[in-house]
Amino acid sequence: MMIQEVRVITKNSLPDSKGEEVLYDIKHALGINTVQKVRTARVFRFEGIGAGEAALLAGKLLAEDVFQDFRVNSPVIEGAAVVLEVAYKPGVMNPEAASLMKSAADLGVAGLLAADSSWEYGFYGKGITGEDIERITSSLLVNATVEYVVKESPKTLVIHGAPGRTEVIPVRQMSDHELVELSRDKLFLNLEEMRVIKDYFQRIGRDPTDCEIETIAQTWSEHCGHKTFKARLIVDGKEKTPLLKRLKNATEESNHPLVLSAFVDNSGVMEFYDGQAICGKVETHNSPSAIEPYGGAMTGSGGVFRDIAGTGRGAKTLASTDIFCFARPDTPGEDIPAGCLHPHYLLRRVVAGVRDYGNRMGIPTNNGSVHFHRDFRAKPSVIVGAYGILPVELCRKGRPRAGDLVIAVGGRTGRDGIHGATFSSGEMTDRTIDVNSSAVQIGHPIEEKRTFDAILAARDEGLIRAITDCGAGGFASAVGEMGAETGARIALDRAPLKYPGLSPWEIIESESQERMVLAADPEHAGRLMEICRGYNVEATVLGEFTGDKCFSATYEGRTVMNLEMEFLHNGLPQRVMKAAWRPARFPEPRVVPAADWEDLFCRVMGHLNVCSKEPVVRLYDHGVQGTSALPPFSGINGDGPNDAAIVAPILGKPYGMVISHGLNPVLNMIDPYHGSLWAAAEAVSNAIACGVNPRDLVLMDNFIWPFPDEELLGALDLAVDACVDFVRGTGMPFISGKDSLSSTYRGKDGTVIKIPPILCVSAFGRVPDVSRTVSADFKEAGSRIVLVGYRNTAEMAGSVYYDVLGHIGNNLPKFSPTALMQVFEAVYGAINSSRLLACHDISEGGVAAALAEMCFGGDMGAQVIIPEDDSAENFLFNETAGCFLAEIPADSKPSDIFGGVPCQAIGKTTAGKLISALQSGKTLFEAGLDKLKAAWRQPMKEVFRQ
Amino acid sequence: MKKPRVCVLRTDGINCDGEIFYAFEKAGAESQMVHVNQLRSKEARLADYQILALPGGFSYGDDVHSGKILAVELTSFLKEQLSEFVAAGKLTLGICNGFQVLVRTGLLPDRNLGNIETTLTVNDSGHFECRWIRLLVEPSHCVFTRGMEGSLIEIQVAHGEGKFYSDPPVIEKIENGGRAVFRYAGADGRPAALYPANPNGSLNAIAGICDSTGRIMGMMPHPERYVEKTQHPNWRRMPENTIPHGLAIFNNAVDYAQRM
Repeated sequence: MMIQEVRVITKNSLPDSKGEEVLYDIKHALGINTVQKVRTARVFRFEGIGAGEAALLAGKLLAEDVFQDFRVNSPVIEGAAVVLEVAYKPGVMNPEAASLMKSAADLGVAGLLAADSSWEYGFYGKGITGEDIERITSSLLVNATVEYVVKESPKTLVIHGAPGRTEVIPVRQMSDHELVELSRDKLFLNLEEMRVIKDYFQRIGRDPTDCEIETIAQTWSEHCGHKTFKARLIVDGKEKTPLLKRLKNATEESNHPLVLSAFVDNSGVMEFYDGQAICGKVETHNSPSAIEPYGGAMTGSGGVFRDIAGTGRGAKTLASTDIFCFARPDTPGEDIPAGCLHPHYLLRRVVAGVRDYGNRMGIPTNNGSVHFHRDFRAKPSVIVGAYGILPVELCRKGRPRAGDLVIAVGGRTGRDGIHGATFSSGEMTDRTIDVNSSAVQIGHPIEEKRTFDAILAARDEGLIRAITDCGAGGFASAVGEMGAETGARIALDRAPLKYPGLSPWEIIESESQERMVLAADPEHAGRLMEICRGYNVEATVLGEFTGDKCFSATYEGRTVMNLEMEFLHNGLPQRVMKAAWRPARFPEPRVVPAADWEDLFCRVMGHLNVCSKEPVVRLYDHGVQGTSALPPFSGINGDGPNDAAIVAPILGKPYGMVISHGLNPVLNMIDPYHGSLWAAAEAVSNAIACGVNPRDLVLMDNFIWPFPDEELLGALDLAVDACVDFVRGTGMPFISGKDSLSSTYRGKDGTVIKIPPILCVSAFGRVPDVSRTVSADFKEAGSRIVLVGYRNTAEMAGSVYYDVLGHIGNNLPKFSPTALMQVFEAVYGAINSSRLLACHDISEGGVAAALAEMCFGGDMGAQVIIPEDDSAENFLFNETAGCFLAEIPADSKPSDIFGGVPCQAIGKTTAGKLISALQSGKTLFEAGLDKLKAAWRQPMKEVFRQ
Repeated sequence: MKKPRVCVLRTDGINCDGEIFYAFEKAGAESQMVHVNQLRSKEARLADYQILALPGGFSYGDDVHSGKILAVELTSFLKEQLSEFVAAGKLTLGICNGFQVLVRTGLLPDRNLGNIETTLTVNDSGHFECRWIRLLVEPSHCVFTRGMEGSLIEIQVAHGEGKFYSDPPVIEKIENGGRAVFRYAGADGRPAALYPANPNGSLNAIAGICDSTGRIMGMMPHPERYVEKTQHPNWRRMPENTIPHGLAIFNNAVDYAQRM
């Protein structure tokens, strides 16, 4: 049957904002001047209906007469030099298709078999070359992993396919070489692990099926198995406790009274108020984001939200965070390694992905940061966090019982996302984009939102025994983990598919998004299904938890998998790994005093790691749910940044949840121990600066490392030691964590690029009354400005100031966690007793940047007096974490407020819009607030065109 | 006095339901979450409510046009229930996506189900934006803004498709009928034509309109996000006794419904 095509275009007289945006990028990003105008149109295709029905749909659904025109089965863009259409590749789920089907049914149009939608672009101008169009298409319009240029209208929209057979893989006969070949690009296991699999199947006297070997590979992947973190570690010849165990031991020793669930569930949980608990999880989605940043970031957000939904018996998602590391957006194209995408594109597309997923889910994204370093061109780091709330009595991980049903809830299973777990454990190479494109998919936040709505309704009726998300490793991982103690049997042919043709192994490994797996008593199944139907959510009984301690799967009645849970979960040999850190040596610079202070100050404010990220934040909905009590930006003009986010999740109650984080990749490069302490101190300081009790905070770790060779494993060992020392010194435990140890690039030509190692520490906690918290913007002219905290201003290595001058240095900020805790207590006490008007923590850019940001927020100036015996540059630009700037009333005395911890009045706020500094009675500089602000806003304004 | 009942309409992708539910409860109503499927199956009936609230979000992903799929569903299956509800003199409030739905059902501006006269289209800036802005409350017969006329309120916008647009005759009809309830305003309190005070390029700076009875109102900004003092980004700079600017809208609705 013929396919009906409807094309819809904005009326000629009205602006075409999408076309204008494309034109802007053609001119500015690509420098092509032959194109004078771009017009865009929507294309809708329908299979199974006639032209009359298509016209009806056009009039009632697709086009609005107020501002649009449409045509059925004929072109709508006229007079253009070139017209081309960009569509999702067949098999990539287009979320809009389901809405088209639904609305057509609502409008009484019967017989529709399939629908699809896409975009058409018309380019106007003289002398547009084929090469211009090729560049526009490949750089701006088409992401080749998921989209293509439609050369010929499709003959059918229905995807056909016959499932492949289940193959038996003859591993018992394979040589070492053949085992390595089998593993390459697909399983990502090493030879020793492949041999263990071979030995196991030799022992049980048969060869594995593809389902079995794929399930083992993903369960044993670095992504799921955390082999490095669990390895026996030999550091400089001496065995040390495995990394993960060290972290867990420290948490246990801290014996924190508020911790309800640590390291055992999809997120970490602590006690809140009124019988509620709060939870947090931070994930990375580096590998998918590197090859398809929009889809990668979307599915990163979707995945971490599912971790919250899959906590205890189900939690509600309250907030999300986004923390990114990229190379400079103005990196010259020739510096980008083959097979990698340009950071300018990555940054914009990652932000768009986080925006579209979070906003559509109705989850406020209200905390985050963006960091830049040249070597993130090897692989960006995309860190997404999510936070939730659930009743205390439902907050512990549920345990399925034998006889419980295995129920899949949410989206359908497709070929997308296959090999995500094993893929993200591999390094980035120039083959990555070609070989692994199936590992990326387009997220469908609306599917996830309605699934969560249904899950929370089912949870509240007590229908959920256990729940987990279908993340990396798909059903294999979700069901394999849930049934680890009981065993589970599932029928793969029952899984609802996006399209026919998936082989059994693809069904079990598929990482299609927006799916959750529940364990429920068979008695509850009926009601559970009813609830799901009420929310338009598909739920399917896949099988049951058995009691036989095996993980088995059938397809059309035949057994395609039967693995012992014991081998699956405990068969992986513990790795023995050697570590030896060799301290890096970056020459200590000789610094000459600043010649032009205002210029220097502006350069620090305009540094990518200091500059305002407001253009990013404004793209995220940070007010949805009505919970914001401390937004990312506040102050007179709404542009003063705050240190942390506080949400009041129970509307009408004063209770707050605080969310913050810290990281400093450059410091980790110099010294992973002190760099990691800095990250933890910074995460906590951000929360303390708002007035949170340090005893009400817990931590989460994310280690994002280059592939750990001996040296980098030594660095990791030191970073973990820093975490442990921080826990011991402050009593704040880590309750969740994740590692991603594959951020190394290897090119065909031998190029190796390693990212600066990252420890991102996230902190969350509770506040009994949000009205006792402060923001960072200065409130009054004439107040005293106080610097609080321990610091040695000579420790300047890794600072933005050094970077601006082209140095790194070796002498980085060092501190003792126990001393930090005294400062945290003092600052918290001061805010809680309402003695501070504003408070800001000191981080990148030092006192100078913190001061400027407080001035921006208060729309006022400041005057600081630099001690005579200190270098003005060091005093203003030192970045020791755990230090704070506080605004106190003119008549109060710092030592009365902060007691025994170091505190000094360094100046006052002023009505004039100048920041001035004095030393030894002389004016060192006067810098205009407007000038500083312009420098601070410029970099992201440029990238995001706001 | 009996609490008026509010139907908070939910469906796939609606996500500002919790806060609108709370805003009406705080104003003294009894809120209920109702899924559009429940109305379609007659498990719930609009007739049992005095106020219909269409919350913000991305109903059905805002596929095709923002709010369109839900609007088609409402006009296809609930035309009768909606017409009866409106004819009974009851109140309808659409915020953000809810406003987009009201416009695309034809309930706004003229209670003409199935007839689309105005649109809310892509912001001139081309992107989604979340920011606090100022609104001028115009004198009108709108029941939701009684007593607020002439005041400036601070409120959050969070949308990508909020540009109010229509043909000149329709705009004239809205203006002459006193149905432009809210306008984006600059620091001087006057209607703002330009970004950023006018966040989306709406014609005549229109941020919200009502029908000729004043009982159906739609607006892009989110009053339900400012019914508690601490929801404002600068509550720390404000006097202790500040009354959240969004609350009056819900109080007005509840007062009116109580006297119905």
